[in-house]
Amino acid sequence: MRFWKLLRIYLSASLSVQLAYRANFLAAILSSFANLATGLLGVLLFYSRPEIKELGGWNLEGALMVVGFFTLTEGLISVWLRPNLTQLSEGIRTGTLDFLLLKPVDAQFQLSARNLNLLRLPDMLLGLGLIVWAGAALGTVTLSGALLSAVLYLSAIAMVYAIWFMLNTTAFWLVNVQNITELFQGVFSAGRYPLQALPLWIRPVLTFVIPVAFITTIPAQALRGELGTAALFSPLVALILLAICRVLWLRALGSYTSASS
Amino acid sequence: MPVPTTDPDITVRAAQLRKAYTVTEKEPGFLGSLRAFVRPNTRTVEAVKGVSFELRGGEMVGFLGPNGAGKTTTLKMLSGLLHPTSGAATVQGHTPQKRGTAFLKQITLVMGQKQQLIWDLPAQDSFLVNQAIYEIPDAEYRATMREFDEVLDLSGILSKQVRKLSLGERMKCELAAALLHRPKVLFLDEPTIGLDVNMQERIREFVREYNARFNATVMLTSHYMADVTALCQRILVIDGGELVFDGDLSALTSGPDARKTVRLQLSRPETAARLSTFGELIRLDGLDVELAVPRGEVSARAAAMLTHLDVADLTVVDPPIEQVIGQLFRSDKKPEPVKALA
Ligand SMILES: Nc1ncnc2c1ncn2[C@@H]1O[C@H](COP(=O)(O)OP(=O)(O)OP(=O)(O)O)[C@@H](O)[C@H]1O
Ligand SMILES: [Mg+2]
Repeated sequence: MRFWKLLRIYLSASLSVQLAYRANFLAAILSSFANLATGLLGVLLFYSRPEIKELGGWNLEGALMVVGFFTLTEGLISVWLRPNLTQLSEGIRTGTLDFLLLKPVDAQFQLSARNLNLLRLPDMLLGLGLIVWAGAALGTVTLSGALLSAVLYLSAIAMVYAIWFMLNTTAFWLVNVQNITELFQGVFSAGRYPLQALPLWIRPVLTFVIPVAFITTIPAQALRGELGTAALFSPLVALILLAICRVLWLRALGSYTSASS
Repeated sequence: MPVPTTDPDITVRAAQLRKAYTVTEKEPGFLGSLRAFVRPNTRTVEAVKGVSFELRGGEMVGFLGPNGAGKTTTLKMLSGLLHPTSGAATVQGHTPQKRGTAFLKQITLVMGQKQQLIWDLPAQDSFLVNQAIYEIPDAEYRATMREFDEVLDLSGILSKQVRKLSLGERMKCELAAALLHRPKVLFLDEPTIGLDVNMQERIREFVREYNARFNATVMLTSHYMADVTALCQRILVIDGGELVFDGDLSALTSGPDARKTVRLQLSRPETAARLSTFGELIRLDGLDVELAVPRGEVSARAAAMLTHLDVADLTVVDPPIEQVIGQLFRSDKKPEPVKALA
């Protein structure tokens, strides 16, 4: 199919660009490890006190699993979302979005797939590794739990994508949206900790306003076998968000003014 | 409601196209910014005020007008980037703003001041992306590249990183990238801007060949008279968002009214009255002089100037486009008014 072919070509173009800047490579790998270390350090320090065995129902392995989901997601954002979507506001500001809109391929697809920052791939691998390790250490992971977790996590990614894309779409009216996406980034970093370990008042915010809980805590719970199928309404939320995102995008195109040149 | 096309030959049609931008204004300085932030001061700018015209298949038309006249805005509406505030456009039977696949595969928009090539990669890589996007079969892709190479001489520059190319080399690649899918309708917005005379000529040659080969419709804006005279018989003139002329260019460039500009560098100052005896005085700036003379009398007049004036240097050039357009509106030769479309 044409989309696959395009994805392949985008991938090889991204790769060529990044190979042209070799020095970045080492720096990126170091920063991946630093990211993971920050996440781990907080959790390990907390649980290092002998009187603490668990927090909000989460023992050390469970909490590490959450860190794993967090690292994986952060990696995905760095590899896929950030390099693409920062180009949206850039394209609107400078008018280069024009060329994308002139192409006979869905512009939202092009915008979402054109750039991949493969240098941050190690983040994803480290996150995935941590999830697997914590799951093995827990010893309670079942096949159905793993499947449910995968479905929930994919839905979570769809939500992150939709929210991030919508935030960037506001650039059509606001032009500069860097601060908004930074705000999202800030709130998202709360996902490093299990929801139940956070103050009570903030939990609804992180569940319903910005669904950080869906991204890390809930897939981890499912993997531990703690969640019923009730959690399956997560894909529904994802679909609704994707639909809203699409409508907003189409409306935005109508008011595109294409920076003058 | 688009007006139904009566003539099947019409490929581009604009019917009362209008575009108004909303702009926020702000006074200079920090306080101005703060005030604009609290209470934005918006204003509507009517960039295009109800423009109507039709282009026939295979026609090359020059789209002229002073800076800010609304040329780029019109081209962007015709290529589907901007939704018109009112009025309708039809291109190859499609409504541009719907940006349908069939429509987008038949058009291209080249903007001399913007670039689509991927900055950090060789132009070739961007071509491959476009090949996939437009679903161009390999054989056709190779054939097209061979043809383009013949006219544009792309050998050697395709494998160089785009950021290392000269302006002219980059423009050649931009053109090739924009025409790879062999569009039927070309919107070219100042494709020769900033290029030297040779490169301009090369680009013109390419557009001419492309038009002849594919019978493509070309709408071209430029601030260089030579681009327009070399390629277009018909011109559209837009001023202040309104179409003020739609007709033949030849009357201006080769008819009895056609003129040339003689640029003089004097060694001794002369009075305006004396200079005016050699032609219409357009500019007198110390020792720099510009005179407009009838095209047929250029050599005789130039000879007279050389004998009667202290001339350090003399060059004959095409008058700037703005002057030619200005000439259109002289009282003695009123252009036929643009006929309104039904
Ligand atoms: N994105 C925009 N937002 C607001 N105003 C705009 C925008 N683009 C153009 N304009 C205004 O619309 C008018 C027409 O601009 P346009 O770019 O169409 O002119 P043009 O004929 O192409 O001029 P030039 O020869 O300088 O390229 C100008 O007054 C310009 O300031
Ligand atoms: Mg312009």
